[in-house]
Amino acid sequence: MIAPRFSPDIDRPLLAATLLLTLIGIAFVFSATSMPSAAAEHGLYLKQIAYLLLALVAGALIAAVPYRVYEGKTSYLLYAIGLGLLVLTLFVGHVGLGAQRWLGWGPIKIQPSELAKVATVILLASQLADRKKDWTQIRNLVGPVLTAVVPFLLVLKQPDLGTSVTFVAMLFTMLYWAGLPLLYLFFMITPLANIALSFFTPVWLVFLGLLAVILYRSRIRLLPLLLVVSVNLVVGIATPQIWNHLQPYQKQRITTFLDPGADAYGAGYQIIQSKIAIGSGQVFGKGYLQGTQKALAFLPEQHTDFIYSVVGEETGFVGAAVVASLYLLLILRGIRVANRARNRFGGLLAIGMTSIFLYHVLVNIWMTVGLAPVTGLPLPLLSYGGSSLVASFLQVGLIQNVAMRWREY
Amino acid sequence: MRADPIALGGGWQRRERTLTFAVIGIFALVVLRLFVLQVLEGARYRELSEGNRIRVEVLTAPRGEIRDRKGRLLADCVPSFTVTLDLFDKAYTRDAARLDTTLAALGPILGVDPALLREKIQRERKVSFLPIRLKRNVDIKSVAFVSEHRDQLPGVQVESEPLRRYPLGLMASHLLGYVGEISDKELADPQHADYLSGDLIGRMGIERKYEKLLRGQDGKRFVEVNAMGRKGEFLGEKHPILPRRGLDLELTIDLDVQRAAEEAFETGARGAVVAIDPRNGEVLALASKPNYDPNEFSMGITRERWNELSSGGNYPLFNRAIQAAYPPGSTFKPFTALSGLEAGAMVPGTHFAQSCRGEFRFGTRLFGCWKHEGHGSLAMHDAIVRSCDVYFYQLGIRTGLERMAETMAKLQLSEKTGIDLPQERRGLFPTPAWYDRRYGTGRWSRGVILNLAIGQGECSLTPVKLAQLAAFVANGGTLWKPHLIRSVAAGGSPQWAPPDDSLAQAVPVSAPSMREIRDAMAAVVSDPHGTGGPARIDSIAVAGKTGTAQNPHGKDHALFICYAPAEAPRIAVAVMVENAGHGSTAAAPIARKVLQGYFHPTPPDSASFLVKR
Repeated sequence: MIAPRFSPDIDRPLLAATLLLTLIGIAFVFSATSMPSAAAEHGLYLKQIAYLLLALVAGALIAAVPYRVYEGKTSYLLYAIGLGLLVLTLFVGHVGLGAQRWLGWGPIKIQPSELAKVATVILLASQLADRKKDWTQIRNLVGPVLTAVVPFLLVLKQPDLGTSVTFVAMLFTMLYWAGLPLLYLFFMITPLANIALSFFTPVWLVFLGLLAVILYRSRIRLLPLLLVVSVNLVVGIATPQIWNHLQPYQKQRITTFLDPGADAYGAGYQIIQSKIAIGSGQVFGKGYLQGTQKALAFLPEQHTDFIYSVVGEETGFVGAAVVASLYLLLILRGIRVANRARNRFGGLLAIGMTSIFLYHVLVNIWMTVGLAPVTGLPLPLLSYGGSSLVASFLQVGLIQNVAMRWREY
Repeated sequence: MRADPIALGGGWQRRERTLTFAVIGIFALVVLRLFVLQVLEGARYRELSEGNRIRVEVLTAPRGEIRDRKGRLLADCVPSFTVTLDLFDKAYTRDAARLDTTLAALGPILGVDPALLREKIQRERKVSFLPIRLKRNVDIKSVAFVSEHRDQLPGVQVESEPLRRYPLGLMASHLLGYVGEISDKELADPQHADYLSGDLIGRMGIERKYEKLLRGQDGKRFVEVNAMGRKGEFLGEKHPILPRRGLDLELTIDLDVQRAAEEAFETGARGAVVAIDPRNGEVLALASKPNYDPNEFSMGITRERWNELSSGGNYPLFNRAIQAAYPPGSTFKPFTALSGLEAGAMVPGTHFAQSCRGEFRFGTRLFGCWKHEGHGSLAMHDAIVRSCDVYFYQLGIRTGLERMAETMAKLQLSEKTGIDLPQERRGLFPTPAWYDRRYGTGRWSRGVILNLAIGQGECSLTPVKLAQLAAFVANGGTLWKPHLIRSVAAGGSPQWAPPDDSLAQAVPVSAPSMREIRDAMAAVVSDPHGTGGPARIDSIAVAGKTGTAQNPHGKDHALFICYAPAEAPRIAVAVMVENAGHGSTAAAPIARKVLQGYFHPTPPDSASFLVKR
């Protein structure tokens, strides 16, 4: 019934990369939980297979319905459901690893932030698809920014910094795609840079001077100019003041939050073990199921957040590079689909979904190789977890949806 | 190529190219990083993964030292051995049942039931990747055994950790407090976010109150443990974070006075002594009997012993100086007199209608004087000196509960002194409103004032409050918040001294009234008729007041408050001895020894070696 609707324009490399990565994922979930010391987790790969079936159905369904259906009112409805689940999580959610991230109903547990990401991208695409609006006007940006900031704050409250930043990352990618000049995006990031730099007054002053030069050269209108200048000044001056008035334990919370590795003996240790695991794989790896580091210490995260280190240990540089290349392929195909779509909503939808992949893959892999702090973001398609897998297939399904109907205006 | 630029809202082609290059760049970086880790440095990591173990080692910061006002040591740290277990040792990740063998072998050596060790491991394993402390303060024989049998005890290490030591043992135990492992409940408190399971935390006394200053900051480093169990620093990764020693505290306590106070009690006696400098509120001594040895807690106390200390018999953990409130008895009379003078209910020369014949009739009830043969007709001065109850019954009636409560509120009798020790209890001087709440409006007798006037009935005060009141009389009208810290120092250099001004509160009382009270209290000790004779010491005039608090549960409590020198006081003392009888015979002699400790300290012999300056 659905099959005839899939057009030959379906993006085959994207589909192949997705399925391959998922299968690799199941293989390494099995490997990561195969040690005798992880007896409780031996059956997880079977559950992952069940999730895959569910994810395939969900992805096919969302790809089958012409994507224009998701535009407009529907996008608000989906977004409202996503936010509702997030709010519910804050009140009745399950606590896992120190944060309230899970929503449970009987034996079913879902991570609403995964679904909220997809819903938020759909609404953002719908809002930014309006070509009548001048997207360089600040007042027009209020809507999309609010759309991303609300779920950002809800997830931040859980607290889950890594996931919450996803909302900001996709907002920026989509704004860029919608036509906002890079310079504007730069100005939007400056307050954040300010917070970080305001503790080192000389550096901060240099930064402000630089900003002033760029502002002057950019010839932007007076109102945005004043806004950028005042927000930056207020943030830069207020941050150290607020910081100095915090209680020591509040400060500690914030530093732990920003850089878990700085505080928890655990996180710094995890990074070292992850690097040893990946490094010890050398060129060709120790062989599938032959890894030794996985038995040590990532528990309970080696089959979820640290699965890439198991891949690196057992298949070496060759395997790790192949997996990275598959992700690269997936993302480049996503960008291509977004570029090819004639419909503005379709293009934005595809780039938004692609940006979720990009951000997750980037942060997760950088974490396992010791380039980024431990944040707790899963590696899409590879990490164990139903919510993440279903959300990934929804994303791929939507990209394929756009790919198949690229001709439509 | 086929894209329609009009449909795309402009410029996507260029954006695609930018984004594509950015993404390729990001992935190139990942592959480059993989190349460095796996190809260039791969051999080194392979070696680490096969032979050696990398693990985190905590470098426990020594707690700050505590000294008395003359630099004499009260608490410090000495090195000790702790036996730890690394659960992530390969032996256990390969074969979980191996743990039972290790614990079974280790239990008898450490003298701990293997089941208890397992319980501890279960509780702490979830918290971190750190090795778990199995036992602190392990003796050298066990250390030798563990080292010799390293190959049979995988993951077991002997580490050096600072051990809290109280060189004077029982001395000042309630004041100092002790340290113990943090409880799960405390760990859940966000205040303790920087503690890990198994860490030590101050309990009671100075150790708890100034935990933040004393604790310091633990360091950590990564170490590489080889198959032989030998450790080396793991270089090339994060630098070790060195521990920061806690801050040193110099207390206001004078060890001579503290020692005199503690030694003045007979063995088995229960009671408390608080000595304060009336000029600035510095606490010179604070003792509670019976006491305990805080070293027992540092060494790792057994559950049975803890139960014995916390609930058994005389409650040695209970700090009677600040946590117990007793009726002040006749030590209260100077303050009853003060309220009468302040309220204008009498003048110092007033003689009341009834002279003392050993009892006083109020309504249908008879109230006795402690001296059955009676004191005759007295004015205020002699009534205080001889402690005549009948005089004070009449003074109480004349003043009235409202006006008396007013003065007592000025003296903050129902409030804590605010001494910097945890768990201080507040005293009580009831007001009419209090009686209304307690018994119902109008459902209590006005006769309560008779008992209150002689410091009995519902009035109750802690020894530290009594000492504060004695200091108040001594300095002529200032309530000092008692405090224990003279200075805080890091590595010997002073960092901080507590502010003095905010600690003093002047009470508006008339100077002539205070002079009358002070004259009377001086005569209590010096006058041949006075009840405080046993507190006299050589060459120094002492002023004081005895008290004997009736105790419905047993023998009377003995009390004494005093200060000296009477004309220019430098020390104020409150003494309380539970169930010891008369203040004059049981409490005043203790005060005398405390004063002697202050004014004529015996040359230190046993304590001299402790001065490390």
